Amino acid sequence: MKAQLRPGAREAIFAQLIEAGRAEQVARRLTDAIILGVLTPGERLPSEQELARRFGVALITVREGLVILRDAGLVETRRGRGGGSFVIKADAPHGTLLQARLRGLAQVELSDLAVYFSTIAEGCAERAALRASAADAERLHAWLLHADFSTTAGARTNAGGFYLELAVLSQSARLVREQIRLQAEFGPLLLLGLGDPDTRAQVTGLNGRIALAVSDGDGQAARTLVADQVRLLGEWLLTMKARIERGGHLDDAIVDDA
Amino acid sequence: MTTPSSTTPETARPAGPPAGLTTAEDCAIEVGEIFARVFRTLDDWRERIAAAVPDRADLDILVESLVVPALLASAGSPAADGPPATESLLIGAGFIAAPQYVNGRDAHFAWWLGPLASNPLLGNTSGASRLDLATRVHTEYLRDFRELEWYAVPEATNQTHVTGPYVDQLCTCDYIITLTMPVRLGERMIGVVGADVYVKRLEQVLLPHFLALPGPVVLVNQSGRVVISTEPTLPAGDILPNRRHPADGFDLLPCPGTPFLLATRVAIATPAF
Repeated sequence: MKAQLRPGAREAIFAQLIEAGRAEQVARRLTDAIILGVLTPGERLPSEQELARRFGVALITVREGLVILRDAGLVETRRGRGGGSFVIKADAPHGTLLQARLRGLAQVELSDLAVYFSTIAEGCAERAALRASAADAERLHAWLLHADFSTTAGARTNAGGFYLELAVLSQSARLVREQIRLQAEFGPLLLLGLGDPDTRAQVTGLNGRIALAVSDGDGQAARTLVADQVRLLGEWLLTMKARIERGGHLDDAIVDDA
Repeated sequence: MTTPSSTTPETARPAGPPAGLTTAEDCAIEVGEIFARVFRTLDDWRERIAAAVPDRADLDILVESLVVPALLASAGSPAADGPPATESLLIGAGFIAAPQYVNGRDAHFAWWLGPLASNPLLGNTSGASRLDLATRVHTEYLRDFRELEWYAVPEATNQTHVTGPYVDQLCTCDYIITLTMPVRLGERMIGVVGADVYVKRLEQVLLPHFLALPGPVVLVNQSGRVVISTEPTLPAGDILPNRRHPADGFDLLPCPGTPFLLATRVAIATPAF
């Protein structure tokens, strides 16, 4: 096939980079971390220079993002030595903010997010099953045996860790990087359902079977089981979204870490 | 780990990478020598660190002065004249102190990374950057780094250890091989010195030699994990043997002083499809 048949592909290379909304992206990333308890009250954020470097954006963009957070009452900035931006201890539970976040995403965005995350995670699991050595599989089982999934906080940390381990076992640096990026961007939101005891039990119940599929070298089984897991998380999010849109509330116990 | 055998006249090669080594045995010896050079560097660091005062700030300055020049030398000279220096293989290096060794605190990481391109955590860096574990939220699930192979094995065996190849999710987020050596004061292990070898740079060094051989060769670790290969059906990351490649299809040549083996085809391959 000749390149000329696809003029769009060439034009796309030179399309404007997404600059607009970068400050909002910075603010959203930090807001998610704060309302989901990844960043805790009183914690000092990295310096503006450090944030700019880590996010790969201009200093001015970070400053704009921090203004959004200050206006939302999530951080305060102190001057002088030992100064910086600190996470404010919330008077009200962050549930309202979380509800706002869920309202801000369309159903079609939420379900698409689950599809994308699932596709990456399924690929990691299938490759892991095809490529894990016996020792690798044994380590995965041993880790899982001691990982705590009984609390909301433990389940969220370790569910993210489990997906990352599967990516590592795939031996693909790109899949590991994508898994880290996806978890930074959407992890807190996607793993929200682990605050619900029933969903948590169902999701974590599949972990052992996934590890078994990896040690059996059964790529298809690993893929299917991971897809089941992410489907449960995605459906929980859509259910919550619908409940909030009808005027209901998120259960605070689901939001706050046990 | 045993010391690799010394260079014999037969293994002396002409200057310049394109010439290549002529036999698989020569290639296996070359692999051994490349790793022996990194081990010698680690051994030197280990002695200096063991002799230093266990003060956090002083140790950090010492380790930085040892490892950063090696990491920056890495970035400079990938091609140019002559074979790349040993240092050019390294993407990370440092000392990880055992808990309680440094100022009575928890385990202490004095670890630096060489220049990185589009790292998901650090972006693009042109100089050396220090590993900051506090920024590695995504690795919190790793409850205790002492359980990780590159620390646990040298601790248990008191031997130098080679981990990988593996995707390192802690620092580089890339495919690497980690070399670690225990640092001891008397009976006690006070930590490990280590260096991360970038698989893609190791490939740049070894591939010309491998390609010069008459048949395909595959460098694998003890688990059969492929590091570098001139057999297209066995890319890096795959395990040998596997469904397409039974174990009896390959001869295995040990690379002296390393856990690596060079696999060569036993017989003429029958087409897969």
